[in-house]
Amino acid sequence: MLAKIGDWLDERFSWRGVWEAIFLRKIPHVNWFYTLGSATLFVATIQGVTGILLTLYYVPTPDHAYDSVMYITTQLPAGWFIRGLHHWGASAMVVLTVLHLLRVFFYGAYKFPREATWITGVLLLLVVIGFGFTGYLLPWDQKAYWATTVGTRIAGVAPIVGDFILRIARGGDQLSAVTLARFFGTHVWVLPASLAALIGIHLYLVIRIGITAVPKKDE
Amino acid sequence: MNQKEKNVGRRDFMKAAIASIGGVIGAAIGLPAVAYIVGPALKKEADTWIRLGSVSKIELDNPTLFKTTIETQTGWINAEEEFSAYVLTENGQDFTVMSNVCTHLGCRVRWIAEKEGFFCPCHNAVFAKDGTVLDGPPPRPLDRFESKVEDGVLYVKRG
Repeated sequence: MLAKIGDWLDERFSWRGVWEAIFLRKIPHVNWFYTLGSATLFVATIQGVTGILLTLYYVPTPDHAYDSVMYITTQLPAGWFIRGLHHWGASAMVVLTVLHLLRVFFYGAYKFPREATWITGVLLLLVVIGFGFTGYLLPWDQKAYWATTVGTRIAGVAPIVGDFILRIARGGDQLSAVTLARFFGTHVWVLPASLAALIGIHLYLVIRIGITAVPKKDE
Repeated sequence: MNQKEKNVGRRDFMKAAIASIGGVIGAAIGLPAVAYIVGPALKKEADTWIRLGSVSKIELDNPTLFKTTIETQTGWINAEEEFSAYVLTENGQDFTVMSNVCTHLGCRVRWIAEKEGFFCPCHNAVFAKDGTVLDGPPPRPLDRFESKVEDGVLYVKRG
């Protein structure tokens, strides 16, 4: 039955060719460090799923944010688990992305013809850091509030444009309801859209160009 | 021949391993996710007795509206909610407490004494004094609450 449906669809848009190009492509003999990119993608997927689940209850306003997070953590079945996955997954994202970057760097895999893949990868790292920075404020507890106070103040010390950047980030002089709302909007709309687009390009390039072999000593 | 069988075996093994590990991961997130989503829907409010007021206010044979505020907790919000019910008594001893929520689609009905009926403004439903349907689309009579009288004060049970 499944095979029949597969055939029917394949007749119409030849998906098997796409499947083979993605999953049955030839790769050089590599080692476990080459799984770091897939590991990052896996955790990103977990973050997407748990993040969507969290938005079912989370409310991004100063008078409800903390209470809704407490409700998720203490009242809902498995709420602690969903939030915990998202919380620890955030750290895992940064660690895995950096490890993946280091592997590419030390194996020289960023060189011709893979410069564009490297550039999208660096942009992805920035997006991941952006996720971490904006997500940290959302529980609206003391740690979140002061971390964002400090974080936006750091942006503020840049010469000339610093104060402007700080005001853009906070949506005014102070950390306020405006700050929380724009951090939330950035965290659940702007960054996910950027992440999806960049991952699409990044993966296309990885598959189109193929991956590097482990470099030999004299290379 | 042996070699070939071995190769096929490894590929099938990997397929099965990926499918089962993927299934375990999917279930580990999917099942808690279902509980997380349906959790609040399955939570039943505990039965509470609501104090309506003194029975001396109730007119004989004429539905009397009682209004009171009750504290509710929904999600992470504590709020006060208005609770209303009509009370009917024919002998001053036995009380029938009826909901003022129309059984059609949930609008609030109003007793109009001159016309001897409960009227719903939404779809022109009419209920009789005892809550039975006289006209319009409601599928059943007005809902009734369990009630009790203690020291001349009427209470209704909500759950």
